[in-house]
Amino acid sequence: MDMSYKEKSLLASLGATLLLFGWYLYGAFSSLPLNPELPGFLEFIILIVGFVILEAMIQSFLAIKNKSQLEDERDKLIEKTSSRYSYGFLVVCIWVSMIQILLDARFDNHLMLTTPYGMFHFLLLFFVLSEVIRFATQLCHYRKGV
Amino acid sequence: MSQQTLAEKVGVTRQTIIAIEKDKYSPSLEVAFKISDVFQEPLENIFKYK
Repeated sequence: MDMSYKEKSLLASLGATLLLFGWYLYGAFSSLPLNPELPGFLEFIILIVGFVILEAMIQSFLAIKNKSQLEDERDKLIEKTSSRYSYGFLVVCIWVSMIQILLDARFDNHLMLTTPYGMFHFLLLFFVLSEVIRFATQLCHYRKGV
Repeated sequence: MSQQTLAEKVGVTRQTIIAIEKDKYSPSLEVAFKISDVFQEPLENIFKYK
């Protein structure tokens, strides 16, 4: 398959995001019902540092392997189109979270989502999903046209 | 002329030239004029509106 530098870079970012954040969120949501107040600060810092190192390594490798890292008008159009989908998804998720918090305060339900730990991980999940949508739609546009 | 040469002359990636050829991307006027300039042909001889 003939892929541009930009496509390879996107594929690497998608893989790294799914691998590291997927692993972290799977662990977090597995332990969430058992211990809704568990602080995950240290694990989160390790995750961010690990993600930055992995991304830097992959992107540097790709930059060395590919002579041209030119970004043209098609790349910018695809990026803009995909950001719209990602933003739309994130807005819906934020609204759902806000309504959930409001309902919880009104009816005193104390759901998993409204504990600080739960809320943090749900927001992180929404953010990661919106990033995955952004990468996936960009890759899709590169293959199917825009 | 190869796709790579055309891409370099126009200032886009080879994948963009491929996408234009396959009708998967409509270039901007700037890129369209640059392509016509490279081939020394009028715009309407290179691009057709469907």
